[in-house]
Amino acid sequence: MATKNAISSRERSERVAPNAAAIPPVAERRRKPLKITDGMIWVLIVVATLWVFFPFYWAITTSFKEHLAIVSQPGFIPWLQFRPTLLNWEREFVNRGPEIMSGLTNSGIIAIGAMIIACALGTLAGYGLARFRFHRWQNKDVTLWFLSQRFLPPMVTVIPFFLVMKFLRLLDNPIALIIANATFTMPFAVLIMRDAFKELPIELEESALVDGCSHFSAFWRIALPLAAPAIAAAAIISFAFSWNEFLFALILTYERARPMSVIIAGVEHTQGIQFEFVATRLLVAILPPALLALTVQRWIVRGLTFGAVKG
Amino acid sequence: MKAMAHKERIKFFFVIPGILWVLIFTIFPLLYSLRLSFFQARLGQDQTFIGMGNFQGAFSDYRFWNSLSITVFFVVVSVSLTVLLGLGLALLFNRPRRGLRFFRSSFVLPIFTAPIALGYLGLTIFHEDVGAVNVALRMLGVVNPPGWFHQVWAARLAITLVDVWQWTSFCFLVLLAGLQNLPEELYEAAQLDTSSGWGIFRHITLPLLAPVLFTVTILRLVETLKVLDIPFSMTSGGPGAATQTYSFYVYLVGLRNFNAGYASALAYILLLIMLFISSFFFNRLRAIYD
Repeated sequence: MATKNAISSRERSERVAPNAAAIPPVAERRRKPLKITDGMIWVLIVVATLWVFFPFYWAITTSFKEHLAIVSQPGFIPWLQFRPTLLNWEREFVNRGPEIMSGLTNSGIIAIGAMIIACALGTLAGYGLARFRFHRWQNKDVTLWFLSQRFLPPMVTVIPFFLVMKFLRLLDNPIALIIANATFTMPFAVLIMRDAFKELPIELEESALVDGCSHFSAFWRIALPLAAPAIAAAAIISFAFSWNEFLFALILTYERARPMSVIIAGVEHTQGIQFEFVATRLLVAILPPALLALTVQRWIVRGLTFGAVKG
Repeated sequence: MKAMAHKERIKFFFVIPGILWVLIFTIFPLLYSLRLSFFQARLGQDQTFIGMGNFQGAFSDYRFWNSLSITVFFVVVSVSLTVLLGLGLALLFNRPRRGLRFFRSSFVLPIFTAPIALGYLGLTIFHEDVGAVNVALRMLGVVNPPGWFHQVWAARLAITLVDVWQWTSFCFLVLLAGLQNLPEELYEAAQLDTSSGWGIFRHITLPLLAPVLFTVTILRLVETLKVLDIPFSMTSGGPGAATQTYSFYVYLVGLRNFNAGYASALAYILLLIMLFISSFFFNRLRAIYD
């Protein structure tokens, strides 16, 4: 990783700071004078990691607590402060199994459907923006226009969207949410793919064109396979955001098509909130996108900043 | 020449499907809600044109001002805390170190946690009697820990902290990437001139990192302005209307009270605020995608 960074920083130095090249090479490489000691840094690493993991840890331990233990012996450490039990998980999967399964299935269908549409159209558009020049509207304006979808408050479109879906008889149908989420996540796909194609050497496609290949097959046979990691990243980001979307899911579904995000919202009971129930359910709901996201880490920064920052 | 003409045509084949999709599914709803905003319209009932009535109504609606000010508080605190914490962490971890990889991996998790789920988790963490925060506070000897869901400012702080938790890692990852992209040579040269870490930070790191800081702040700003899920699940806007963020208020007006006309007008006001804010950074953003 260190060597990779060194290379990328050398590449960048010319662009970011033209003066950098003018500075004579340093003969004697010195380590940075560290005021913060190593020990302090490790303490901070531990604190920061605890900060990140604590909510997950809390959810996991809570899911293994009996209701009585939650109320009477609030504590953090299993076996020491409370006796762990599998009861909640049993209930979640046995008693409420059908509900969870339907929620997971719906979330999966919605997220995968939205992902496919967003990535298909987004990859095409990204390629178009990276490889061709548009005149009437410049490329950067089209790019920014795609990005601006992300700036749009969903509250502006949710009521008309609801009315349209009602008119089309698509309420409580995953298709409505697939359409909505494909629209919301398309900016990610377009900007990630545009960025990825821009980085590919154009010569490969050019020589294919010279050899009589069509523009489309140059895209399909040469550029697309090379951009596969970026497509995976775009796919997982749009999957995760679609999975986690709540407002449209709440408005557009009421029974059969309810995804996990809406099912979680049903955890509040009239007799107050049941921690153990919340914990099991939300762990089920948050794991799929979170675990998937771990697989495309290298692309997360670039993807979530729409290519503005290279990770 | 023929190839050129072909190229001119095929380029549209690539971008048109995406453009059409987005046009159909955002421009139509946008226009329709613009129209609604000039009407006295309840879902499922007749509509009457009232011109700017909804917009005028908003300015004399104390709940509008209330939700707007809560959102401003939320945005200011959350954006500045996440960016500052993220910057601090990034500076701290911007060095080759073995734990870093694992650390970076784990920091991806909060970003992809559903905010709606996080709100419910927040409910259990900030619970007054048995929530993690107050249990820990009592262990530390605090006799009277805050009633997170009964005190106005405590509740506002609680929802903000949950958002801060979720997005600090995003800022951290982006700023760390930004730091690692900075030219190393510059630092080496700077160290010959000055040994002060603060001087290097102030005069070299910060100016070079400015574009990344700008990007991260804008993205955070845009997202926090829309916040709905966390107050929705964690506090339901309470106590009273103390955590009723702007989007939450629009949701209540439009989708609980079915006052579609007024809700559309309110949503358009938010859109105008966003346009106003984005006009400040439009040119810089445009330059990024050149």
